[in-house]
Amino acid sequence: MPLIIKDEYPEKLFREDGKRLDGREKHELRPIKMEVGVLKNADGSAYLEWGNNKIFAAVYGPRDVHPHYLAKPDKGILRVFYRMATFSVFERKRPAPGRREKEISMVLTDCLEPLLFLELYPGNSFEVFINVMNADGGTRCACATVAALALADAGVPMRSLVTAVAVGKIDGELVTDLSGIEDKAGEADLPCAITWFNEEFDGKMDLEEFEKCLTLAKNALTKIHEIQLNVLKNKYIAIQEEYSGGKN
Amino acid sequence: MENEEEELIEETITDNDEDKELPEFDGEDISREVVVPGEVLTEDTKNFLPGRGTIFNKERNKIISLNIGLKQINKNYINVIPLKGFYTPRAGDKVIALVTDKNPVKYRCDINAKDEGVLKPRNTVKRGKTRGFRGGGSESADNSTDKYQIGDILIVKVLSADRLNQPELTTVGQYLGKRRDGIVISIDPPKIPRVIGRNGSMIKMLKNLTKSNIFVTQNGRIWLKGENIAYERLLIDAIKKIEREAHTVGLTDRITKYIDNEKKIRGIN
Amino acid sequence: MMNTKRVISTIEKNYILNNLRKEERIDGRGLWEYRDWTIKPDVISSAEGSADVTLGDTKIITGLKYDVGAPFPDLPEEGVCTFMAELLPLASPIFERGPPSEQSIELARVVDRGIRHADCVQTKKLCIKANKAVYILFVDLYVINYSGNLIDAGGISSLTTLISSHIPEGKWVDDQIEWTGKYLTGETIVNELPIVTTYGKINDIIFLDPNLPEELVSDGKISISVTEDKITSIQKSGLATFSLEEIDMLTKKSMEIGKKLRKELNLWQYKVKY
Repeated sequence: MPLIIKDEYPEKLFREDGKRLDGREKHELRPIKMEVGVLKNADGSAYLEWGNNKIFAAVYGPRDVHPHYLAKPDKGILRVFYRMATFSVFERKRPAPGRREKEISMVLTDCLEPLLFLELYPGNSFEVFINVMNADGGTRCACATVAALALADAGVPMRSLVTAVAVGKIDGELVTDLSGIEDKAGEADLPCAITWFNEEFDGKMDLEEFEKCLTLAKNALTKIHEIQLNVLKNKYIAIQEEYSGGKN
Repeated sequence: MENEEEELIEETITDNDEDKELPEFDGEDISREVVVPGEVLTEDTKNFLPGRGTIFNKERNKIISLNIGLKQINKNYINVIPLKGFYTPRAGDKVIALVTDKNPVKYRCDINAKDEGVLKPRNTVKRGKTRGFRGGGSESADNSTDKYQIGDILIVKVLSADRLNQPELTTVGQYLGKRRDGIVISIDPPKIPRVIGRNGSMIKMLKNLTKSNIFVTQNGRIWLKGENIAYERLLIDAIKKIEREAHTVGLTDRITKYIDNEKKIRGIN
Repeated sequence: MMNTKRVISTIEKNYILNNLRKEERIDGRGLWEYRDWTIKPDVISSAEGSADVTLGDTKIITGLKYDVGAPFPDLPEEGVCTFMAELLPLASPIFERGPPSEQSIELARVVDRGIRHADCVQTKKLCIKANKAVYILFVDLYVINYSGNLIDAGGISSLTTLISSHIPEGKWVDDQIEWTGKYLTGETIVNELPIVTTYGKINDIIFLDPNLPEELVSDGKISISVTEDKITSIQKSGLATFSLEEIDMLTKKSMEIGKKLRKELNLWQYKVKY
């Protein structure tokens, strides 16, 4: 008879002063920190902290396909494996992969596959492993964002990066970047990924609000994309600045 | 302990004609601007064409980078010299192979590429070395896979590599063959030209200052052997530093200073 | 060195062995030295205890979750502390997806045994109501980067997690649980600090804390768990054998090294006040 304290949903998602429960304005992003090249054994890797989300991503490839029957003779395949640690959520998650993890793995594969030139790697595979150590809302957006960095870090030719963020409606108001509580207790949640605008919709919203959401998303995505670009470049620019005085 | 072939003198990567076209990291025409996948390099598609590591966008009104790398303009081509990437075997490449498996008819080798390389016995023995008639001789000498063992490190040349077949390798040739001592390290394959330097300047300096023998190959692997472990550690640290700073200017001088400095700090002379 | 998957080259094995004979290692350490440790406690907001520990480049993130349930029938007044380990594919191309491998089970069990036999976790204090409700602690280790010696890193990671834990305190009132609003912390739960020390052996040479190439070429490994004054468990793996003299020598070394590490890491600084 397991008896554990439930995380209770607060009644109001806005404070007296009009800010959200974690002190943010309606369209303020949570603090985001990213790093590439953190795992030396993988071909490419990245780490991301987004609010309380803590996520590692690693890429292996191009390499042989296991099991072999999945290999395609005319092009390579991309496989994404999304897993959450047992302690990443408030109620301990069972260690074995569940349906939700498999579903998100597929969504992420669909999101990342168009970026790659798989026809250049017949018979081979690219595998992306994403492990969420701590989850707190907007996890699948964070995963798409960090997976793109890991692929770039692996030197895989890409048409572009992917950036993602969730916008939604809480207590009747449109907000950007839902945290865990807002995600669960709010009315609607729309994760968006750019480039190749994949949308997945969850909840109730009328058409006008939907369009507003997309605009909000675009603003947020631009900011997050900046962070991705800086993370990839700064590794090299910092070294350049340290050593050269000349014009870059 | 002796290595299979004569003592090494030079270690430069083989001269492919295509290589001469590839820009080096310390060329003057490199802009040193770091770009990332999806970044727009130019919208002037009248005057520029996509070169290495770049592509037109769908509407063909922009040129986009495919990789993380340095932007470089060569005549009217825009190239991106990748800073990260994996090794793709090409005929003529000299690489360091690790024998991972063997059966009576061939060896399988890890060459740090997506496919394993295949080494057949007839490519491990010099033609004409066997006694006998012209064009033939003793068949058995070059038919068995007794020469090498699993775990052996071989310097090989890629005979052929294409999309459909596994790369074929050979140990017949100058500087090729089994290494019996020393150690092998790995760096990012795109950074290998930097370890060699323009006209071999970097590698000559490394060899002299650390009193080591070094063999640098295309698949990112470097064989080295120093006088003692202290020199070897220093050499490895220097190579890792080159890898990190491959995209900067003045690297050869800086590495020279680094090695001189470290020798003092570590008490090596 | 070279990024290989499973086969390690003969020259590398010889290189490591020849240098070990001269008491030299490629990373400059002595035969009985640990690589650098970094410890970050309480890093996971959704867990009741956690730690991010690196030993050299080996990195393990551990988290603790609790549940309340019926005790084991033969231990009606004791709570339960159970360990699980996963070797994530991100940590190395050698680790495959799928159910726990032998290596991950070994990691969990060696860490478990070292802690259990040292009476480290005070399971009697994890009892809310005898025969009815006890705490069940799940300590889960995730290997994020593999660079040799998962066991010692796992041991310290688990200890730090337990010490930094903060579990809601429950009392049995009127036939059900009431939460007091206070927390059980590491101070209550942890008693002893067992340290596990792992040695590799190549031919006749034994050395502490194998890094990745050393571990891949080792003929065998031995892990010895020690408290301040006792040996609590020994586990050997691989084909190598150890003579009685060697084991004697190693147990003494482990006591020394354990004392030194306990002082150096000072794990009690990571307990939380809640």
